[in-house]
Amino acid sequence: MRRLLALVLLLQTLHVGLADAAEKYLVLVVTDPYLEMHSGPGRGFPVVYVIGRDELVTVLYSRTDWYKVRAPRGQEGWVRRADLARTLLASGEPAPIPPYPDFASHRWEVGAGYGVYNRENLVTTYADFGLTSSLDVEFVLQQAFGTLDNRYVASLGLRHTFIPEWKWFSPTAGMGAAYQFIQDVVPPAPLQNNNEMAYVSLGARGFITRRFMWRADWRHYVVFNNQNVYEDLEEWKLDLAVFF
Amino acid sequence: MEIRLSSILLVAALLSGCSWFHRGNKGPPEVVAEETQAEPSIVEPQVTRRVVKTPKIKAKDFEVGAYFGALSIQDFGTNPLYGVSAAYHVSEDIFLAAYAARSKAGTTSLEDVFPDITVVSNSGRQFTYYDLDVGYNVLPGEIFLGRGRAFNSALYVTVGMGDVKFADKDQFALNFGVGERLLITDWLAIHLDVRDHIFETDLTGRTKNVDNIEATLGLTVFY
Repeated sequence: MRRLLALVLLLQTLHVGLADAAEKYLVLVVTDPYLEMHSGPGRGFPVVYVIGRDELVTVLYSRTDWYKVRAPRGQEGWVRRADLARTLLASGEPAPIPPYPDFASHRWEVGAGYGVYNRENLVTTYADFGLTSSLDVEFVLQQAFGTLDNRYVASLGLRHTFIPEWKWFSPTAGMGAAYQFIQDVVPPAPLQNNNEMAYVSLGARGFITRRFMWRADWRHYVVFNNQNVYEDLEEWKLDLAVFF
Repeated sequence: MEIRLSSILLVAALLSGCSWFHRGNKGPPEVVAEETQAEPSIVEPQVTRRVVKTPKIKAKDFEVGAYFGALSIQDFGTNPLYGVSAAYHVSEDIFLAAYAARSKAGTTSLEDVFPDITVVSNSGRQFTYYDLDVGYNVLPGEIFLGRGRAFNSALYVTVGMGDVKFADKDQFALNFGVGERLLITDWLAIHLDVRDHIFETDLTGRTKNVDNIEATLGLTVFY
């Protein structure tokens, strides 16, 4: 009995959830003579339906630069972002289509790329959060493929962009702390299989298109070891990233 | 005694000085404010403002899924492969993808002919990889099934790099692929992929680049 009750309650909440979801779609008014609906989210897909002026269009969701919409009589299709941006809310305000993130003042970056670490191949990934438009915190996770060993490197640091307004090429500099873990492949085993490190970096970044950007970096690492010798490493890399 | 006396005098002098400075600004003259009697308003406005919340548009740019197929490991035969994938669509043309999969290698011809010889240990036959790729939708379009059905599709190419762990060693591997994405609905897709993982190895005696080609069938969900 209790189970049944629980099931009924669950179903009810689900139902309420669905009902809520159904009401949460954005409804816009077409102001152009007509709004073209394509059969797919791409420039080449044919126009399969048009919504006339002053008619309502329900926006279901988006994929890249295309919006899946529903016409007043139930037909569904894809509308180009630029077209949908010219519609209005029922109140007369412009449609709340979010603009592209501004490259100069974006918040998040996530990317991956190729590099050379200690003269070995490197696969690198990173996430970067902008504290201000010119100062970022970056977290980097990478794997270096050596002939003698296999290394994982994690680092956390600050990165300064000198002139964030420069769109296509803007120099950067940074510093931070890192940790490397060495997995031995070919004997002899390393004397120490993990190290703390510190680094300084010089680099550049630039805009490619929409949410896409590139980033290059040169880093000089100082390795803290317990062997009483000075050890340092060099790295360069090129990343492709998406920013938000 | 003298010091104490002089310090008392000094304090007294300072205090008087302070009071002298304060002479100028006496407190404001006290004015007894007359209480103005507020006229009772005739109509009490009872406005309840409606908070209009514009619903947000959900972006469905992520794609996750799983795939299985066959992987041909050079010199080690063809074997089943299981993997997972994730992708983020940046624009209608470009997407970023990540793949991770596992297979197990068979035996080389040498091992088949001479059963006593072992090229790779049993645990080393695990073939595990991850890839980070960039993809480009080269030929987007529609595929027709009979008169009444059309499915959106795209032929895409991917290029990337990653790690192949084989014979207990991690190798840097490049990969090139071509695939077909067929959308059954707007959120569910079938993938057919062929991808080549290329890396350098000296397992069979001399150092060479090996091609490990996979053919897979996958199912992904957009969200």
